[in-house]
Amino acid sequence: MAILEVKNIKKSFDKEEILKGISFNLEKGQTLSILGSSGSGKTTLLRCLNFLETPDDGTITVNGELLFDGANKPSKNDDLREKRLHFGMVFQQFNLFPQYTALENVILAPKLENNGRSMEEIVEEGKTLLNKMGLSDRMDNYPHQLSGGQQQRVAIARALALKPDILCFDEPTSALDPELTGEVLKVIKELADNHTTMIIVTHEIGFAREVSDEIVFMDGGVIAEQGTPAQVIDNPSNDRTRKFLANYLK
Amino acid sequence: MFSTVTLSLLEGFFGTLKLFSLTLLFSLPLGLLISFGSMNKNVVVRLPIRFIIWVVRGTPLMLQLLIIFYGPGIFFGVNLWGSGDAGRFTAALVAFVFNYACYFSEIFRGGIQSIPKGQYEAAAVLGLTKRQTFFRIVLLQVVKRIVPPISNEVITLVKDTSLARVIAFYEIIWEGERFIKSAGIIWPLFYTGAFYLVFSGLLTLLFGYIEKRLDYFK
Ligand SMILES: Nc1ncnc2c1ncn2[C@@H]1O[C@H](COP(=O)(O)OP(=O)(O)OP(=O)(O)O)[C@@H](O)[C@H]1O
Ligand SMILES: [Mg+2]
Repeated sequence: MAILEVKNIKKSFDKEEILKGISFNLEKGQTLSILGSSGSGKTTLLRCLNFLETPDDGTITVNGELLFDGANKPSKNDDLREKRLHFGMVFQQFNLFPQYTALENVILAPKLENNGRSMEEIVEEGKTLLNKMGLSDRMDNYPHQLSGGQQQRVAIARALALKPDILCFDEPTSALDPELTGEVLKVIKELADNHTTMIIVTHEIGFAREVSDEIVFMDGGVIAEQGTPAQVIDNPSNDRTRKFLANYLK
Repeated sequence: MFSTVTLSLLEGFFGTLKLFSLTLLFSLPLGLLISFGSMNKNVVVRLPIRFIIWVVRGTPLMLQLLIIFYGPGIFFGVNLWGSGDAGRFTAALVAFVFNYACYFSEIFRGGIQSIPKGQYEAAAVLGLTKRQTFFRIVLLQVVKRIVPPISNEVITLVKDTSLARVIAFYEIIWEGERFIKSAGIIWPLFYTGAFYLVFSGLLTLLFGYIEKRLDYFK
């Protein structure tokens, strides 16, 4: 059974339909990359999964649990907290909390979650995560003392600390200087190798081909093409996909 | 003579200090409340509050003092403030608190609205509640941003307290001026300036210290 089932997600802003019915499944431990030109709705889709936007229609099911149902939308005051913890989110702009050190950023949410874990345990786990991100000597630095690549790796550790079922990335390297993208892509690759379930919106086509089990190409609010990297990137059947790739591989 | 003058000016300065500190004590929290009102999603709440802020910030504090002190008697025939010094003080305090709360509310609003949306979104996807987001994430960042403008207002308040003498509130300049009539000397009036200078100097140091303490993050 798929860990994530997305069915017919629709979303409009100001009467303009941005997502026109998106459906896909994701298997546990797999990495899905979403490609598509600017404005095709990639960010909006991720934001819907994280409940930063409320879809107008469709369903989102994780592990067989129906989290969102467009026919029975949550009211404004409904607590989305529990539901959104199934997803982690890594933003383009990192969005670290400036007043907290790297380690404090990572352990803040687990600490507040208060699910019976001891403080030592939480701190140990935070340190382990930062070690994995190659930041063992940066734990006590504040975000402004870190490079963009380091900040993004802290943000990844922060998202992982809550053990989400599915980790989402929205162009994790787009805000970085070119020489810093490598270090971030490397840790994402390691996560993929360790079978972290991930959805990655990216413009790094080569990277997507390397780490993904599945590729989705979005165009104008719909999924224009979907398949393995070999199908979608190396042998696209859709005209739009071909044009898009031609632009990027130039 | 110098020590006599100093002693009586200190007494006047006590009135100044009392008005200053009680104004701060009440106007800061009231200002925060007003700023929430001025950001309310509901226009019925937001617009009247914005209107009041506009009026209060757009008219002289001296005029507001006069209206608050004399207004109830003239327009409604009620003697709201009584006749003694205590009544004058209360009227002055009400005018100052209201005036400064409006100024502070705009500073708070600016500070709160300057926090990037990404901070709220990052907190939301980490499962923080609204309350946790405000107290753990937003508040300190707001404080850092508003310390400099708040510091300006507070130092202005030190000097503004002298306006309260239009409703015969007893403060340091009042005391200094008395010596012109009683002893025919004018230097005590100028001497009051030293009190203001020392006090605002201390406040400048205090706010400088706070700014420094918040320097550890950007
Ligand atoms: N909150 C919003 N209000 C109104 N319009 C929005 C909003 N968010 C997104 N849009 C519009 O939706 C469309 C899709 O935006 P989205 O950010 O999802 O695209 P994207 O595929 O992520 O593009 P990019 O590659 O540039 O990041 C755009 O035309 C954008 O202007
Ligand atoms: Mg985007």
